[in-house]
Amino acid sequence: MLEVKHITKYYGNNKAVSDLSFTVKDGEIFGLLGENGAGKTTTFRIIMGLIEANKGEVLLDGDKIDYNLTDKIGFVTEERSLLTKLTVLEQLTFYGVLKGLDERTIEKDIDKWLERFEITSYKDRKIKELSKGNQQKIQFISAIINHPKLLILDEPFTGLDPINVKLMKDAIYEMQKEGCSIIFSSHQMEYIEDFCEKLVILVKGHPVVSGMLKDIKEDFGIKNIMLRGEDLPLDKIEKTKGVLSVSKVRGEIEVKIEDKSVAPKIFALVKNSNITKYDVVEPTLNEIFIAKVGGIHE
Amino acid sequence: MSRKFLYLTKVSLRKKFKTKWFVITNIILAVVLILLLNINSIVSFFGGDFDSKTNIIVIDNADSYDLFKQNIDSYASSLNEDEENLKLTIEKSNKSIEELEEALEDDEILIELNSDNMEYLTAKITSNKKIDTLTYQVISQSLNSTKTTIGMAINNIDATTLNNISSPITINRVVLNEDNNVDENMGLIMSSVFPTIILPFFMLTMILIQMVGGEICEEKTTRSMEIIISNVSPKQHLMSKILASNIFVIVQGLLLVVYAVIGLLISTNMLSSGMSLPSEVTSIFDSLVSSGFMEKLIYVIPLTLILIVLSFLAYSIVAGILASMTVNMEDFSQLQTPLVFLSLGGYYLAMMAGMFNGSILIRILSYVPFLSSFVSPSLYMMGEIGLIDIVISIIVLIAFIYLILHFGIRVYKVGILNYSNEKVWSKLFKAFKSKDV
Repeated sequence: MLEVKHITKYYGNNKAVSDLSFTVKDGEIFGLLGENGAGKTTTFRIIMGLIEANKGEVLLDGDKIDYNLTDKIGFVTEERSLLTKLTVLEQLTFYGVLKGLDERTIEKDIDKWLERFEITSYKDRKIKELSKGNQQKIQFISAIINHPKLLILDEPFTGLDPINVKLMKDAIYEMQKEGCSIIFSSHQMEYIEDFCEKLVILVKGHPVVSGMLKDIKEDFGIKNIMLRGEDLPLDKIEKTKGVLSVSKVRGEIEVKIEDKSVAPKIFALVKNSNITKYDVVEPTLNEIFIAKVGGIHE
Repeated sequence: MSRKFLYLTKVSLRKKFKTKWFVITNIILAVVLILLLNINSIVSFFGGDFDSKTNIIVIDNADSYDLFKQNIDSYASSLNEDEENLKLTIEKSNKSIEELEEALEDDEILIELNSDNMEYLTAKITSNKKIDTLTYQVISQSLNSTKTTIGMAINNIDATTLNNISSPITINRVVLNEDNNVDENMGLIMSSVFPTIILPFFMLTMILIQMVGGEICEEKTTRSMEIIISNVSPKQHLMSKILASNIFVIVQGLLLVVYAVIGLLISTNMLSSGMSLPSEVTSIFDSLVSSGFMEKLIYVIPLTLILIVLSFLAYSIVAGILASMTVNMEDFSQLQTPLVFLSLGGYYLAMMAGMFNGSILIRILSYVPFLSSFVSPSLYMMGEIGLIDIVISIIVLIAFIYLILHFGIRVYKVGILNYSNEKVWSKLFKAFKSKDV
């Protein structure tokens, strides 16, 4: 289990991370969100022991993270961190040995992972000769070659097509089943919604939203009503108290309401119309992110 | 030493040695060095107009032709015994100088000998083009000898008396300070020999700076640094680069020595004619032995080697720290320039040290890290400093290495994770002052 306790990090007078706390249990996937420069990379660096927090501490299974514990951590960085002049085999062996494994064990595991990601034929090819997608696969394999207790994934699906995204997702779920704690960061909110039960949103180093995804959606208040039908009284709906906006989305009408108490009023307005769909749906994480991050900016 | 440190060093060494460029570069180096050491044979092999003769025509107005011819023949044959390919013929002519000048060929030299009451003999030398140095030297010496003989005859001076007058004074040279017991001619010898000796060291220093910096820059720009540093400490990382690069340059240095030995062995045809060096090499070697150079070399070699290895360490540590502060290879190329100039300064100071006999500044500079490995041995060989001064240079260098490691590692730790040029000096100065390593 990873415990991040009240960490604060300053760069000069600039507060990069402010009093950030969260816990990632074994087998849990945790989302760390934020716009560029929000403090995600600093948080990852503190967790990896690359830099020290000015306040607070980070514990993995109760122990402070040092060079012995980093052997149990896998890290996929946002930008590819591969030595492009090495071959795939050399690169994976290099990171594997740095994670405390011996070369023979690594070579056995490498074959298994290369086969799984359908890149066995690239084993002796130089990294720089591979496509971006294949480089990303190598980066992912290098992060999990040591069967980590904690896996940090910063934009892991960059450059991958949907088929390869599925391959990687399956591998991530497998790691989860093995009890690995996973921190996931992405600007593609649908991936976060797919993976994470728990998350935190950082804005300028401050955690502005934190907790279980379903609770966050519940607490957010704003709901969407999706309507399909004929002769819908859109004017009346728009003027109803508690309605934030009415818009057309993919052939349907989306009514954004302040909270779920407004939903019966809308239903009363449309029940006599010829409706084929009336659905009250939770807001997307994307909406929550924009609302929270945008709100802070405003 | 940790397993990870050794592995990092091994990978770094493998990257340097296991490349086609290492092999290609060494083949080129070996070929060039061997060719340079055998340049005489190569030039002869390709042929040329080595058999051209020069004809000396003499107008003898001083009745000295026979004496002059005798001297010319004597000097030319003594040079040819030393394997010089000098082919001279000499003849006397009764034609007028105007007539001879008009008909003078390119391979002819016209000499007019005239009597002189004061100087006994004067000469006018005429040619169509420049006379080669060796031929001119033979003519000049022969004229001088002829003049001396004439002068001796006129003044009734016998050969023994003349020899006693003109022989150099016998000097019994004593230097009371043992460390400074040295031939004063050493400065001249050092100015020609020392640049050749230290040039490989200078080259290897350049390779070392580039190698350490290049590798760190590559790991930074590919962002693999974050993964590496999360598993090994910055200190271990830097030391692995330094160790690998130093091993590389030392091996490369030894390979250069091997290529030079092979070149000399080929040059002397050791296999067929036994161990004998070419006359040029033996001549330099003899000068060095007679001037006490070789004797001093025996004492100074171990200390110089220590100084060189420590200097390699100092250069590579600073190069590593500088590389950690840059974000790409272009930045590093610019940042390493002062280091390159420092090394170049040391090289030139070592060459010119003989021009500043007794200079306190040069003596102080011989203690300065980065310069000491070039300047100290040079000054010692010229008798400007003693062995104790080289030991002081070594102690200063060790202290310097300790300090740059102690403070530099703080900068390195911050630098390798910094990808922005914004406020870089402020960040690094702050890191320099911090104690958190």
